[in-house]
Amino acid sequence: MNGLGKEVTIVMVEDDEGHARLIEKNIRRAGVHNEVVPFTNGTDALDFVLGKDRSGLASAGKFLLILLDLNLPDMSGIDILQKIKSNTHTKRLPVVILTTTDDEREIQRCYDLGANVYITKPVEYESFAHAIRQLGLFFSVIQIPATQ
Amino acid sequence: MPISNAAFVRSTIVLLAAGMIALLGIVGTSLWLVGKVQSYFTTFVEVREVRSAAGDLLSTLKDAETGQRGFVITGRANFRQPHDTARRAVSERQHARGERAARFPQYAGRTPEINRLVSEKLAELAETVEAVEQGRAAEAVAQVDTDRGRRIMDRLRDELGEIMGDADERLEESVADTLRSADALQWTTVIGAIAIIAVLGGAVIVIAQYTRDIIAARREVETLNATLERRVDERTEELIRANQEVQRFAYIVTHDLRAPLVNIMGFTSELQASLSAIQSYVLADGTTPSENDILEARRAASEDLPEAIAFIRSSTKKMDGLINAILKISRDGRRELKIERVDLKALMEAGAASVNHQVGESDGEVTIGDTLPTVVSDRLSLEQVFGNLFDNAIKYQTPGRPLRISVTARNAGRAGFVIEFADNGRGIAPEDHERIFELFRRSGTQDKPGEGIGLAHVRSLMRNLGGDIVVRSELGQGATFVLRLPPDLSKVVRSMQA
Repeated sequence: MNGLGKEVTIVMVEDDEGHARLIEKNIRRAGVHNEVVPFTNGTDALDFVLGKDRSGLASAGKFLLILLDLNLPDMSGIDILQKIKSNTHTKRLPVVILTTTDDEREIQRCYDLGANVYITKPVEYESFAHAIRQLGLFFSVIQIPATQ
Repeated sequence: MPISNAAFVRSTIVLLAAGMIALLGIVGTSLWLVGKVQSYFTTFVEVREVRSAAGDLLSTLKDAETGQRGFVITGRANFRQPHDTARRAVSERQHARGERAARFPQYAGRTPEINRLVSEKLAELAETVEAVEQGRAAEAVAQVDTDRGRRIMDRLRDELGEIMGDADERLEESVADTLRSADALQWTTVIGAIAIIAVLGGAVIVIAQYTRDIIAARREVETLNATLERRVDERTEELIRANQEVQRFAYIVTHDLRAPLVNIMGFTSELQASLSAIQSYVLADGTTPSENDILEARRAASEDLPEAIAFIRSSTKKMDGLINAILKISRDGRRELKIERVDLKALMEAGAASVNHQVGESDGEVTIGDTLPTVVSDRLSLEQVFGNLFDNAIKYQTPGRPLRISVTARNAGRAGFVIEFADNGRGIAPEDHERIFELFRRSGTQDKPGEGIGLAHVRSLMRNLGGDIVVRSELGQGATFVLRLPPDLSKVVRSMQA
């Protein structure tokens, strides 16, 4: 996966460290070797993506793909999505929602706010691993725009 | 005092009956009195007739006597004529008098004597007149001179005069009786009119009271109707809210329980994958494992297996923690409330005293308003609610700023008491104002330990007490928790059961 020939960083916002580990393992198995930066809460993740001042200038020129869980301890993933998609610098960043929630209204809401992909984590590990590997394969072919 | 339907009917019937009786009384008495007056009048007329007949007879006899005297003295025929006319009239008058007097026994008894005297007088008159006609004038004068005619006439005058006098007395009595009856009639009418007016007044009062009662009852029904609708609305709102809460709770619980489950299943599979790597090395039996097999088996034993086991253990522990938290909340919801008088000021002071040490560390201060009321509620629940709020205020205070906690209350009428618990801590972002009351959810920087149970617990306790809790806050500006509490929990419990 690359953006204009540059390496893309995967920002993984996932409060459950076990999930984070399983997701990383399966992405790697799909042959994705991009750097994965894990965050276990929303505040730290937003600090990284939008900067401490939330201006978005912090990630100018970076190639990022955001893997986002909706249920975080300190804030809702939907709030993070809204902040990223409403920032002029980061609004084009692809955001993949990867969560246990399969509530239809929640899914609609995420797409309305500009989410690019929404995936429900299956409880069954075979399906879970399969889904993540498919996602990994998807990552390996997509093009990512740079932040402005 | 409201009149019941039966009482109204009863009193109306009684009044109607009284009015009817009064009316019948008046009519009956009037008829009776009129009858009496009529009979008095009839008697009056008859007595008068008796009297005038007696007078007529006497005056006719006098006429005859006057004619006789003239004739005897002068012998002229023009005196004789009035005598003859009167004489002819006498029998008619005598007959009429007898007839009239026959109706009254006391007068009828005198009739034979009067008739005898009249005949005697007529005989005396005839004798003298005949004597004058036959030229025996001196004999006629002598006859008159004997005073016989005068005595008879005197007797007649006495007899008839007595009758007339008696009749006069009776006439006077009759007039007096009539007047008395007229008086009685007047009084009966006046008394009857008063009775009817009294009955009418009573009826008006009873009807007015009944009408007032009906209007009051209708107004009451209208207000009840209005409040009923409002109560139904409130109840429906509460139900909808409770339903949404249950759904939200179920959603959170399933999601949060599912997350560690995904871990357990995932790492179990990873464990299995690592196991096969180790197996291919340990159970190689004779064949030499390849370089790669050895490497994989070593990595599985040193990294993958411990990692998987650690995650499985921590996830199991997390699940246990979640289940315990849910159990705690559900147990609190089921706990029998002990309803008693609770002095909120004293309760708040006790709560402040228990965190006195931590507040003092930052040079802080707790102010408790004087307006805190005494309520009828569950003491333990309120202690837990305010204990949690005090703990949170200390936990999320802004470092370097002396902690200020203030508790105030005001009476909001129908909504109950409103208690404001304000601190000057780090505050809560507006988008998290509802979230902080959800189970396992927290807000802001995760730099303090906690499971996200406290405020969820506080809200469920407050709702159990018939109240609620919300927050008003800006990030960095402190937070004010606004609690609504009904003044009397027993009433809330009653209305829930009703």
